[in-house]
Amino acid sequence: MLPFIKDYMANKTYTILPFRFERFNEEEYLLTNEVGEFLFIKTNDFYCFTNNELDTQSDVFFNLKSKQIVTDTEIEPVIKMLATKYRTKKSILRDFTSLHMIVPTLRCNSSCIYCQVSRKDLNDHQVDMDKKTARNTVKIIFQSPSPYIKIEFQGGDPSTYFEMVQYIIEEAEWKNLFEKKILEFVICTNITLLTPSMVKYLKKHKCVISTSLDGPKDLHNKNRPLQNTEFTFDIFEENLEMIRGLMGKDSVSALMTTSVYSLGRFKEIIDEYVRLGFHDIFLRSLNPYGFAKRDENKIAYPLDDFLKNYKEGLDYIIEINRKGTYFVEGYAALLLKRILTPYATGFVDLQSPSGVGISCAMYDYNGNVYVSDEARMMARVNNHYFKMGNVNENSYQDMFNGELLHKVIESSCTECLPACAECVYQPFCGADPVRNYSEQGSIVGYRPTNETCRKNKFIMNYLLVLIKKNDPEINSIFWSWITKRTVIEN
Amino acid sequence: MGFPIQVIEGNILNIEVSLNIYNKEIVVAALYELTSVCYIQQEEKDQKTILVSFEPKSDIDINLIAKKFCNNLIDQQIRYNTNQQFGRIRDMIVEEAFKPISNK
Repeated sequence: MLPFIKDYMANKTYTILPFRFERFNEEEYLLTNEVGEFLFIKTNDFYCFTNNELDTQSDVFFNLKSKQIVTDTEIEPVIKMLATKYRTKKSILRDFTSLHMIVPTLRCNSSCIYCQVSRKDLNDHQVDMDKKTARNTVKIIFQSPSPYIKIEFQGGDPSTYFEMVQYIIEEAEWKNLFEKKILEFVICTNITLLTPSMVKYLKKHKCVISTSLDGPKDLHNKNRPLQNTEFTFDIFEENLEMIRGLMGKDSVSALMTTSVYSLGRFKEIIDEYVRLGFHDIFLRSLNPYGFAKRDENKIAYPLDDFLKNYKEGLDYIIEINRKGTYFVEGYAALLLKRILTPYATGFVDLQSPSGVGISCAMYDYNGNVYVSDEARMMARVNNHYFKMGNVNENSYQDMFNGELLHKVIESSCTECLPACAECVYQPFCGADPVRNYSEQGSIVGYRPTNETCRKNKFIMNYLLVLIKKNDPEINSIFWSWITKRTVIEN
Repeated sequence: MGFPIQVIEGNILNIEVSLNIYNKEIVVAALYELTSVCYIQQEEKDQKTILVSFEPKSDIDINLIAKKFCNNLIDQQIRYNTNQQFGRIRDMIVEEAFKPISNK
């Protein structure tokens, strides 16, 4: 037995293992261990437990022991088991940067009211990537040690410069003949400019399409109008059908952004997704970058309004599932996987340490490399704090092993951040140093007024409330989201 | 409210925190969350007492803040006590998790 444990155990019947806690309601505490296993415990039992007065033959003790929050046996095997689980949760760190986002152009044919990337006009070719930069970008990407590379085309709208998308895909495939990594492509586009020929090309190169759909026609047209036409939604719907005809019915994924006009309409938005044959939605709040920040007095809203709508939306989605339609809320599914399984989820915006730079990187049209897409958006308003370098000037080591990335990552481990370190939701949560810097002027952030923190706590708390109900239908629905199988298949 | 909470100048509260009950380190931890709604000052009244003053930043119920602080003290003291027990164990778990795995 470890010496310090032996001394400690001299007058005690059990050893308390690392855990975090919070008062969950008037009667109970929520406890989580180092790897995200959780337990609800009555207040009196909690005080007995922390005062080393708990009956070691009680159900409460056995529950705590099963979650490895306490032990009355040799501690070394418990440490090894927790370490194995910890390693599993942190397995996202193993391979380093796998998601590489490239901006072939900043040109766009949309005029989204909340544009975060500060798009440019269709005729502004000064914001197109050139071939030399494209080649150097691909060269840098393949220096990542990750055996898995996902190249995601962002913009602007990358379909406005499709020739460059093709050039980069082919350059990457050529490079991969030698590197032999698992290589995938995604294109993020409003799909309105895609032609059958382009779609066939994307299909041939197994490029997945991700698009945006903000809801029913009037709302989508309000949030995401195309330039020079009133028929945005109609064009979107027509092209969606064309793409599915060529690539398959699940070939396009969609996500939404909440503007002030979306509030109070989440049910309609979800219904529209169901009507158009989508099986999931990401109920996203507005991000404070680009035009969204510039015009926040027109399109922004208090966080409490979003949270109220999110809760209603999630409840509505659960009801849809109860009635037999498989439909997933993406963010909830991600958090549920963290809460209910021992596995890691690679969501770069909510990791500890943060995924910026080490899980994802953004390559701008001019070769500048940023730790994330949001960092690129900040650069658009002349804040280059998170610029790692330039593919035409700096080496891979300069950028991915440089002082900036070290500093950002050191400051983004929630295990060590103020308030996060003791937070009961810490095992499920993550840091966002870019957002902290953008909103609060510090990569560490100030938790008491941090809206990302408040949002995540709210959602996690509500999911735990639902889990605690132990409703068999809700449990089945949640597990169907985690396993990506319908309730019937489960 | 009675002792040890005192109201002075209408909207400023003083609370005396006994170091016989709470460790000095946990007072700051208990106060951190409240710095968004109050200006806070700490001073050592004597060797066994810290005096904390709360001035609200806006029109909020300062009594509720004081009550929240008192509850926070309890929670932070529990964290401190339990961390004394398992803090090293946490370090060992992380160290074990990131140890290189032998390929033999």
